[in-house]
Amino acid sequence: MSPVHDPASDSDTHAAAAVAGAATAPAQVDLEGAPLIIGEHTSESLNKSLLDHVWRKAGPGWWALFLPSLAGSGLLLTCIVLLEWRGVGVWGNNQPVGWAFDIINFVWWIGIGHAGTLISAILLLFQQKWRTSINRFAEAMTLFAVLCAALYPTLHTGRPWFDYWLLPYPSTLGVGPNFKSPLVWDVFAISTYLTVSFLFWYVGLIPDLAALRDSSPTRRKRIVYGLLSLGWRGSGRHWHNYKIAYLLLAGLSTPLVVSVHTIVSFDFATGVIPGWHTTVFPPYFVAGAVFSGFAMVVTLAVPARKFLGLRHVITDRHLENMNKVILATGLIVAYGYLMEHFVAWYGGNEYEQHLFFSNRAAGPFHRVYFLMLFCNVVIPQLFWFKRARTSIAWMWIASILINVGMWCERFIIIVTSLQQDFLPSSWDAYSPTWVDWGMYIGTLGFFCTLFLLFLKFLPAVAVSEVKELNQELKH
Amino acid sequence: MSHRAPKPRKLWTVAEFASAEALLAAVRAVRERGHQDVDTYSPYPLHHGSEALGLKKSRVPMIAGFGALAGVTIAYGFMYYINAVDFPINVGNRLPHPPPMFVPITFELGVLLSALSIFFGLMFLSRLPQPYHPVFDHEAFRTASTHGFWISVAGAPASSDTERLETDLKALGGTNVATMREETP
Repeated sequence: MSPVHDPASDSDTHAAAAVAGAATAPAQVDLEGAPLIIGEHTSESLNKSLLDHVWRKAGPGWWALFLPSLAGSGLLLTCIVLLEWRGVGVWGNNQPVGWAFDIINFVWWIGIGHAGTLISAILLLFQQKWRTSINRFAEAMTLFAVLCAALYPTLHTGRPWFDYWLLPYPSTLGVGPNFKSPLVWDVFAISTYLTVSFLFWYVGLIPDLAALRDSSPTRRKRIVYGLLSLGWRGSGRHWHNYKIAYLLLAGLSTPLVVSVHTIVSFDFATGVIPGWHTTVFPPYFVAGAVFSGFAMVVTLAVPARKFLGLRHVITDRHLENMNKVILATGLIVAYGYLMEHFVAWYGGNEYEQHLFFSNRAAGPFHRVYFLMLFCNVVIPQLFWFKRARTSIAWMWIASILINVGMWCERFIIIVTSLQQDFLPSSWDAYSPTWVDWGMYIGTLGFFCTLFLLFLKFLPAVAVSEVKELNQELKH
Repeated sequence: MSHRAPKPRKLWTVAEFASAEALLAAVRAVRERGHQDVDTYSPYPLHHGSEALGLKKSRVPMIAGFGALAGVTIAYGFMYYINAVDFPINVGNRLPHPPPMFVPITFELGVLLSALSIFFGLMFLSRLPQPYHPVFDHEAFRTASTHGFWISVAGAPASSDTERLETDLKALGGTNVATMREETP
């Protein structure tokens, strides 16, 4: 597709060990069996196979997914309009269950986002080469998940047009936000996370946008991608600063991702509600986030690599490694459950004991509780077996069940703790309304809409990094 | 494109090489012959590319450090001023200035300003965004972002002997050699 002048340009295939990772890692021999890139490729062939899906016309499959997603976004918009028109009473929230679907979905979406940052940042710092083909996509997932997440607390305030009160600005009232409140911490954590995730994603995209510009079939596309690539030339001077900038952004994102979910867990852990204030909360939340996020990456990667023809770069080994991470973090989550129950029993606090042993395990939502245990504790154990780790069907079903399980976990933590706290006279039942479900389904649709647009218009794989990896693996 | 009332400033001679190794060898040779304004173009960072170009240590880490420092200072100072000095709010009789409670936002703002300064620092140091550059005038140069390895040597029109430079680059193994005239923006 690119106006190639002469076949000599293919000869970068026999370039000597002249390239190294953004982390300036020396080329290492890959000791594990399954390959990270299947088949023999040159930079040119990779460029073609990885960017081809951008130039191809959207097929019926894409439209078949896009239209329902767009309908989902419409449902979200309808629910938001209704919510603003009538107020938060259209939700099932009540007294004492003042936090319900809004905060459940907020935590769920944020958690899903975390795997993207983990894959792109932490695995980059550890020089895990297997991250290269899946990082772009996981980062996009982060960005869109955080957008969905940010919607909920914004609307949960009831009057979103006053949300700017959460920001420190010179108000005529003379009063600033209370910075001792974890909800204000959330504002800073989420907005920082969104901004940094976007920058990290965009900086990674710049060289690939330039590759898109230079292989565009039409002048209009060339101009659009040219503007988006900011005039990137791949100059030695650019790369010189770029490598270190990308590495530093990764270095910043790593503690950031831990801090964000820690702060989300503080929303609960600084309160006095039974079941919310165990000290294990921050690490348990972070592990849960990574667990559900990796599950979501598997859910999305399995169909995407098939439809976009990316099986040669998102290989079975990538999927197997992700399943290993799911198993490891799943065990941490299981440990978190165990500790919560142990502390309730060992601490001897009757409210905690009531919550864990009567309310959660035998209360009105005991089915959700056991579904949570089944999905989050039993299902990941499948991944001890190589056959399950490498079976596409098993891992796809398991990844969806894990996301269901993690949603149930947030439901259990929030709803059961609130509905039966200290005074039985203030207990009440909770049931979600259609608007609650509509908004949840709506954000799923909104997420898929953004994700499909991303798959259509931007390279789903970090092309420049894959070319570099391809070169490294040859030596 | 370059014939539209050009006001010559610099001449850019470019050449494509078959491999990263050949490119870096050419860079070293050209720099040894006294050319200062040399640059490489490649689809991914070249191993030892910065050394071959003789680039100084990147200033991005320093910029990031200042960003982080600014974020931390602004966040803590602001929170202290608002909650402890300007308008102390008593919530549950907690201290107006509780250092541990200020840690999360201090950290977040440090990360935020550091990340923003990395991004804008990168843009500033790379002189981006820059949609037009003389090397783009060469149609074959489009391979630089997909699979080609290119060199550029720039010089003032008065002092440069572009014909000799082009011959030299061809002798070093360069193909698609061409010289572009820089236009004023």
